[in-house]
Amino acid sequence: MRWLLSFLLLGLLSVVHAVSSSGSKLLVVLEELADKTKYSKYLADLESRGFKTTIESPKAEKIALFELGERAYDHVLLLPAKSKGLGPNLTPKLLLDFINAGGNILLTLDSSHPTPSALVSLLLELDIHLPTDRNALVVDHFNFDTLSAAEKHDVVLVPRPDALRPDVKNFFKGAGEDGEIIAFPRGVGQTLGNTSPLLTPILRAPRTAYSYNPKDDVEGVDDPFAVGTQLSLITTLQARNSARFTVIGAAEMLEDAWFDAKVKRSVGLGGVGSGAKQVKTANQAFVKEVTGWTFNEIGVLKVGKIEHYLNEDGVKSNVTNPKIYRVKNDVTYNIELSEYSWDHWVPFTPPTGDVVQLEFSMLSPFHRLPLKVASTTKTSTIYTASFKLPDQHGIFNFKVNYKRPFLSNIEEKNTVTVRHFAHDEWPRSWVISGAWPWIAGIGATVTGWVAFVALWLWSKPVPLKLTTSGKKIQ
Amino acid sequence: MRFLRSLIPSLLVLGAGVADAASSWNFDEAVISVIGKGNTGAAFKDKLSDNAPLAKPVTLNAADTLKIILTATENGKAKRPHQAFLLLRDQDTGLEATFPLSVKETGKGKVDFSQKDLPVQLLSSSQPLRATLLLASFGSSQAFSNHIFNLDVKPDPNAPLPKYEKPLRYGKLEEINHIFRADPKSGPKIVSLFFVLAVLATVPVLLGTWLYLGANLDHLSKAVGAAPISHSLFFGSILAMEGIFYLYYYNWTLFETLPAAGVVGLVAFLSGSKALSEVQSRRLAGER
Repeated sequence: MRWLLSFLLLGLLSVVHAVSSSGSKLLVVLEELADKTKYSKYLADLESRGFKTTIESPKAEKIALFELGERAYDHVLLLPAKSKGLGPNLTPKLLLDFINAGGNILLTLDSSHPTPSALVSLLLELDIHLPTDRNALVVDHFNFDTLSAAEKHDVVLVPRPDALRPDVKNFFKGAGEDGEIIAFPRGVGQTLGNTSPLLTPILRAPRTAYSYNPKDDVEGVDDPFAVGTQLSLITTLQARNSARFTVIGAAEMLEDAWFDAKVKRSVGLGGVGSGAKQVKTANQAFVKEVTGWTFNEIGVLKVGKIEHYLNEDGVKSNVTNPKIYRVKNDVTYNIELSEYSWDHWVPFTPPTGDVVQLEFSMLSPFHRLPLKVASTTKTSTIYTASFKLPDQHGIFNFKVNYKRPFLSNIEEKNTVTVRHFAHDEWPRSWVISGAWPWIAGIGATVTGWVAFVALWLWSKPVPLKLTTSGKKIQ
Repeated sequence: MRFLRSLIPSLLVLGAGVADAASSWNFDEAVISVIGKGNTGAAFKDKLSDNAPLAKPVTLNAADTLKIILTATENGKAKRPHQAFLLLRDQDTGLEATFPLSVKETGKGKVDFSQKDLPVQLLSSSQPLRATLLLASFGSSQAFSNHIFNLDVKPDPNAPLPKYEKPLRYGKLEEINHIFRADPKSGPKIVSLFFVLAVLATVPVLLGTWLYLGANLDHLSKAVGAAPISHSLFFGSILAMEGIFYLYYYNWTLFETLPAAGVVGLVAFLSGSKALSEVQSRRLAGER
């Protein structure tokens, strides 16, 4: 009884504190503990959202991502380090293992400290490329802050990002107000490999931005590392196991100084923004969204109940999730989906233009149908699709493979057998008009047989008659 | 140089209260030319203006090279800017390619490119590409950014466009609806009915032929009188067997059919031997 109570209490505690959908243990890797004051507001924000932070230096002996083979933390925040490497406890392999074990990593880069080569190789492995010269930073002569970077133009001002595609949910637009400005001070731009669907940029550089090395390219840039929107300022990677990895190009974005700094934009492309006013940056809210996404506070999907049943002629069968169906059966499939939003589950609705799809597949899909909303509960949406099973017998899967940028992956497979028609399930022969002559043939034979038996039993012989030709007839 | 650059803004900051920084980037003596392959003369040559784009789009054929020469100026004086880019924008998709100008100390800048330097996506654009020139540098000088001309890319009509395969991105996939095999079909009903009638017509023909040949049932009373039970049972069991066959066709299973058929068969066997001996006795009596 007592252990039950303690379990209940423990459960209640975790409900109160665990705001992220995947745990609250957060490791902050910070080289100089004195630098902690620079990020005090950011760290306070995290703690107020229920994260239990452990701040460690990469040089500390006891720092370990794994304990007895299990993840010791749910999330890791890597703040820029001055030293060249991150030490033996944070090697690229360990960080990758951490991602593979489902942990989330938020990595910050800073142009004033060259990125450790361990991190460069980790990023390379994920197809995120950093400038080859370690000191490179992003400048924009058209979108800089005139108050803090009138000379160097290295504080790039970017509006809140638009949705990546019309059919992708935008988690980073804030309240959706116009004119919100994000300051990206002295950051490192990244370029992304084009082949990986796992990589998604959150924030891209403006058209006129470019990356240059302040030590080498003093006079002008002839061959920039990357320019314009090809430069990603904040990049995300969501692994197949839905672990999240985010690279923020400018660690200064998280600093208190930039949370409530006032900025004033320069004259932009084609003379826009010439009469710009001083505004407060939206860094605090934006960084909260980026961090919240990385640490599984938003954009996490959960599958509830999955149900499929026979639904012939609109009559729902009492048997749910049978193991076997017949070809051409009418079947209904239901799936319950929820989305995590900061601290609670809400019904999930895909953005307009997107749709959750159900596949009925054996090796390749035979059906791929949109799932429609059947009903909504307080915490979930129930999607449904009704269809006729294909006229092919075999082992099939009901498969919902919902993978979208910024949403955690859903891959649900329910296997069923689809059998062919049994011998007594075909249409009867009298329904088939082609069979009528044959049925009539049987009838004629039966009549003839019965008549023959009667004649054989009871016919009286007729006397013989002779024809004129002398032949005998009966 | 570096000293100068740091000096100017501080001077400007000092003077900012008096007048807004009026210095700005611009260019001079800008010439755009398109040179065809082989021939030395330029196929097209024009001067670029800093405030209005060229009236007609510049055509770039497959073998041509486009070349721009200009002198960058800051406040009218030739100077090297830090950023001198030519942006080519696909107006359908918003995709953009950037060509940095190589600029000398004197501000003389040059860029040349041909179709093979353009990304594949821009080659297949339906509208002319919009070319924007950026001249900008550090400090407070106003950067230059104007639309200077349109570029009409004419790919070689004889050579196929390089294929662009869209990389995999997660999103909605195309809907698939299984195409069912067509149901088996019967021929026209009228044909079936004709043959049904043809088959059924054989029965009266058969019976008629038998009657014509003298078939009759005259011995029925005699046979029933001699062996009433066996004759009625035998003929009844023949009819019952047909009935069982019908029920088997209609809805009986084999295991319902077999016992019934066994019982009826036994009755037919026992009564049949009696009935047929009676038939034999009539034959032996010369009545058949």
